Amino acid sequence: MIQVEDVRKSFASPTGRVQAVDGVSFTAHDGQITGLLGPNGAGKTTTLRMLYTLMRPETGRVLVDGIDVATDPAAVRARLGVLPDARGIYKRLTARENIAYFGELQGLGRAQIAGRTTKLAAALDMHEFIERRAEGFSQGQRTKTAIARALVHDPRNVVLDEPTNGLDVMTTRSLRNFLLGLRGEGRCVLFSSHVMQEVAQLCDRIVVIAHGHVVADGTPDELRAATGCANLEDAFVRAIGTDEGLFA
Amino acid sequence: MKALWTILRKELLDAFRDRRMVLVAFVVMPLAIPLVLAGTNALGARKQAQQLEGSLQLPIVGAAHAPNLVRWLESQNVKPLPPPEDVDAAVRTQEHDVVLRIDEKYGEDWRAGRPAQVEIIFDSSRPLDSGMSVARIRGLLDGYSNSVGTLRLIARGIHPAVASPLQVGSRDVATPEARFDLSQQILPYLLLLLAFIGGMQLAIDATAGERERQSLEPLLATPVAREAIISAKILATSIFALLSIAMTLVAYRLAFTIVPSGGIDASFAVGPLGLLQLFLIILPIVLLGATLLTALAAFARSYREAQGYLPLLMFLPMIPTLVLMVAPVRTQLWMLAVPFLGQNQLILRVLRGEQISALDWAVSLGAAFVVVGAVWLVAARLYHREQLATSA
Repeated sequence: MIQVEDVRKSFASPTGRVQAVDGVSFTAHDGQITGLLGPNGAGKTTTLRMLYTLMRPETGRVLVDGIDVATDPAAVRARLGVLPDARGIYKRLTARENIAYFGELQGLGRAQIAGRTTKLAAALDMHEFIERRAEGFSQGQRTKTAIARALVHDPRNVVLDEPTNGLDVMTTRSLRNFLLGLRGEGRCVLFSSHVMQEVAQLCDRIVVIAHGHVVADGTPDELRAATGCANLEDAFVRAIGTDEGLFA
Repeated sequence: MKALWTILRKELLDAFRDRRMVLVAFVVMPLAIPLVLAGTNALGARKQAQQLEGSLQLPIVGAAHAPNLVRWLESQNVKPLPPPEDVDAAVRTQEHDVVLRIDEKYGEDWRAGRPAQVEIIFDSSRPLDSGMSVARIRGLLDGYSNSVGTLRLIARGIHPAVASPLQVGSRDVATPEARFDLSQQILPYLLLLLAFIGGMQLAIDATAGERERQSLEPLLATPVAREAIISAKILATSIFALLSIAMTLVAYRLAFTIVPSGGIDASFAVGPLGLLQLFLIILPIVLLGATLLTALAAFARSYREAQGYLPLLMFLPMIPTLVLMVAPVRTQLWMLAVPFLGQNQLILRVLRGEQISALDWAVSLGAAFVVVGAVWLVAARLYHREQLATSA
């Protein structure tokens, strides 16, 4: 379970300080897929970075399985599987070596890594390129490798930043099924997206972010009820106040 | 600790699979440097031998005024040549190293017992080209002058020793190892430079490159401590640099075995123990370079920016060599504590076959490791900055 409580973050820019995240709170439960929806620049990536300890929130706190990110970041990172916005893999290593590297960094043994790699490669349909060096991988192959590497230590909580960015229809479809599988295993899945259809299709719970604020939070049904729109699309547009950047 | 080992192994594997990096570090560098050094050495030796032992080509202006002198010079392996039209220009343009001019009144003065005038024309701004020839002709003329002067004294019934109140001799106490030549004077600088930035590609690639290729953020999201990450990257860089240096030293030695040095003792006089000492001396510099480069790569906003700092770094190991060239000083203990200066002194001692005491070692290594530690702290701080992973 991931609890985000009133976190704020601002950055210096040439024109003064920019408040990227301004009091965001939400909870992502186990056995659910939670979607962080918002237009580009809404503060999704910054929120996630505070969650996986790459940035320190200026106020508020983040708990992962009840552990405070500020007091024990290493323990939190061990409980998280993270697919960051940056998903570069090592070109001179094979897909398998890329995954094994992160397995070792997570403290897994050789046999554990081999077992998890077999499982993830099957779930993500990677057998075709698993032994190849990553040089020349397609975007989809890179993303799959990055996801497998993020989940090699079998984390209870999975955080993905715009996982479907740049993927073709087929890969997006298989990724969707993969996320549903993770939910079926009782994990807490949190992902961000600026693509409304994707969030609507997958998520048990939707957190809508705009300009650093949470503007709506609930199940799809609750969102429809709160905004008085029968159509989820209209509900989003009303919640954010504009339809800018929400359509893929 | 285990994570450190994992990262170290991965960085080395990654580096050794980079063909270009391996080619530069283990083929180009080890071949280029010794070949250039050994080549210049052999060339210098050949030129020296030619100038000392070959016949000296000497254009003489007014040779007709002193046929005896010219004949004597010929007997001393000097080949007289007709003079060029413009003597000064010919010397300045290096058409001739040195020209001899004999005064018109030479014969008249000679017969009158007055000092007869001869003039050596050369270009002092080119000591490397003409110095040897000038010294040789000067020596010949002095010898001629002395022997004729002695004969004149004897003819007048005076003992020649009266005219030489002093007899100046000289004795060279240098050991054979210490009489090393130019290429070995450059060696300390080259060694330090190689040690300092030999791992530059790996260091920059492992931090700035990793960030540019977007793989640093996932790495930092693992439970591994940042201190372990930078330590592993620094060690990988150091090991890579040390291997490159080892190859270069071996190649350097081989180059002198293959290239004939022309009778001059140019052998790399260092044995296995000396090699070990050299390694120990440059080890802290390797670590310092790797740490500094890693800190720099973490500080720079991009790969290109990190590379931009390299010329500045290359200058650092040059400073003591330049200082010592311009103002040679006697080694004092405190100097050994100064990075680069101390290593420079110690490398020279090894090359000269001199002793290095336990105290010298303690001061040099101790001071160097303190500096490495300080830079490591800076690097670790830089690695904790939020911008590190997220600004790319």
